[in-house]
Amino acid sequence: MDMQQLFILLLAVPLLASLIIWFAPTQFKLVSTLHVMASMVSSALAVITVMKVMNGKVFFAFHDMLFIDALGGVFLSLIGVTGLLINLYSVKYMQWEIQKGEITSKDAKLFFALSHLFVFTMTFSVLANNIVLMWVAIEATTLSSVFMVALHKGKKSTESGWKYIVICSIGLAFALYATVLLYSAGFAVIKDSHSMMLWTTLMAHAKEINPDILKLIFVFALIGYGTKAGLAPTHTWLPDVHSEGPAPASAMLSGILLKCAILGLIRYYAIVGNSMVGFEYVQTVMLISGLMTIFIAALFLMRQHDVKRMFAYHSIAHMGVIAFGLGVGGFVGLFAALFHALAHSVTKALAFCVTGNMVKIYGTRDMTKMGGLIRIAPITAILFCISICSLVGVPGFAIFVSEFWMIQESFNTALYLPVVLFIIGLIIIFIADFSHFFLATFGESKSKILSHEVEWSANLPLIGLAALIIIFGVFSVDGWVTLLNSAVKIIVAA
Amino acid sequence: MIDLLSILSIAMILTSLIVFGLRNYKAAILTYGLQTALLVSIFLLLSTTHLAEQLCTWALIAFFTKVLFIPIILLRLVKKLGVVSEDEPVGGFFVSPIIAISFSLAIAMSVYPIYMKFSLIHESIPLIASITIFMIGIFGFILRNSVIKQILAYCMFENGIHLSLALMAYNSPEIAELGILTDAIFAVIIMSVLAQRFHHYFGSLDVSKATELKG
Repeated sequence: MDMQQLFILLLAVPLLASLIIWFAPTQFKLVSTLHVMASMVSSALAVITVMKVMNGKVFFAFHDMLFIDALGGVFLSLIGVTGLLINLYSVKYMQWEIQKGEITSKDAKLFFALSHLFVFTMTFSVLANNIVLMWVAIEATTLSSVFMVALHKGKKSTESGWKYIVICSIGLAFALYATVLLYSAGFAVIKDSHSMMLWTTLMAHAKEINPDILKLIFVFALIGYGTKAGLAPTHTWLPDVHSEGPAPASAMLSGILLKCAILGLIRYYAIVGNSMVGFEYVQTVMLISGLMTIFIAALFLMRQHDVKRMFAYHSIAHMGVIAFGLGVGGFVGLFAALFHALAHSVTKALAFCVTGNMVKIYGTRDMTKMGGLIRIAPITAILFCISICSLVGVPGFAIFVSEFWMIQESFNTALYLPVVLFIIGLIIIFIADFSHFFLATFGESKSKILSHEVEWSANLPLIGLAALIIIFGVFSVDGWVTLLNSAVKIIVAA
Repeated sequence: MIDLLSILSIAMILTSLIVFGLRNYKAAILTYGLQTALLVSIFLLLSTTHLAEQLCTWALIAFFTKVLFIPIILLRLVKKLGVVSEDEPVGGFFVSPIIAISFSLAIAMSVYPIYMKFSLIHESIPLIASITIFMIGIFGFILRNSVIKQILAYCMFENGIHLSLALMAYNSPEIAELGILTDAIFAVIIMSVLAQRFHHYFGSLDVSKATELKG
């Protein structure tokens, strides 16, 4: 299979799957089978593509408007791996929702169809070399996921859907301005309208673009893609949306979507960093943004008793950690930031899917009404424990690795004050999380138990996610390290 | 002497202010339609004066999508919901437009010299207009509580961006313009569906009444 065909399949499979499920008869067994099959094919295609770019190769298609490099490969691997495991879990979750009478089979069909459309838009955003198409794809991720979030009927769901589309659209409008300005500034250098819209050309000519306008462009891009990624102070949509959506939707949004927005930002980070502005400027901006995000999230996190809302604030905090990694910069800082994207992706996918199990067991998201999870559903309790341990950075779990490297690199580059603030933020999160964890896991349950341990078919994808958290926390996975090395080289144009 | 391009741009700023300020939904939607017709006229004008042939295609697409399609969707929404005019916005009906226009103009005046450096069409008034319209749209979200007025605010900042795009990057590949417009149309359709749900559950279009999610 040549790369042109692979590009077509990568985009066509999820898009066609979405259409087929949309028009399929409303029979849960049929649509869920189609959903699982399509997810597996999409995932296999993503993994094959990532393998091809692992060693730093770059492939182009459609007059260079689409491309895949190692940097895109990092994020495509999240769509392929995390996306598949979430999609597998979502079948059982939707079945529970139908049994409870929360949704109908028609709603489940809509959810499955939209989830593939969502995968299509996210894949498109990763593959786009044309900076306008990248913006279009990232805006389309919002549009395709609104009704995945607002699947349930009711006030809360409607309010979260409205906040999601409005705040993200406003934010992304600034990113579009950044795109228009970057194109105009680039066109002033190279009078070629087609190629100056390509990220690869802009990177190659970054040093010739006016540095003053590039500073403004980066600020606009940060507001735009930062809003979508959940960076403070425009993070306000995220807790509402992640807490109100169905568990697999929250897992998809937190585990993959936020990272796609970060990729958009990294593309601008690389251009501005490699221009006459230099990396010092973008690193300083990202350090401030990252630390502010971590502290705001940590302070709100302490007060949360709603398990999904707590994890939503975690998403914000960890996007702050990725921003901090970009702020630390250098080879190790960037490597850690990209590693953190994967570590957080699998961890948060597990965390949100576990909340689906917990809500099935207790019928509530309020952790003060839970308790005794370890006796009622030991596997769910262990999975919950693994996600919490990774989220707070316990050694042996994936997130510890990237946070450790960020701290080490900060000391090496004499960023003493930022790293002290970073550690304080992480300690606050650590304390808040474990107090919540003990509340739900041990003691006696404060509410009526609706169900005991969930089915193996629901837990198996989650065990897969947990295994990835531990594998990446304990071992150095050669293929992944090679991919990250190649990706970092692209950012620093080495 | 002020040229036709500047007159059309100033008319776009005025229509923005009217869309922002009008209480009556139907009148505000029709004024938005008029504003987009002005935008289409600017596209056509630039295509002849600056030999920007691509803008003819833009004008045609924008006419069908933004002058006809979007206003029709919004007028149908207003009719379906049976609403006539919006409730009191933040700061009141008199103060909120003044805040919006003054801040938007101030931001536009301070930013436009940077835009001028790289703009393909070096005209200050249209560039100021594009930024002002964009900012009035942003203020529409902040200061107006009505769901429909917020959809109109979205449509307005979209117009602002399109004007910027025409002035600064009219030679960009058409797929870019097409992609942005497609997103905008779907966004308006989705917002309209959510607006109906909002009205159904909250019995109002006032977003300040949606306070279920806090903390």
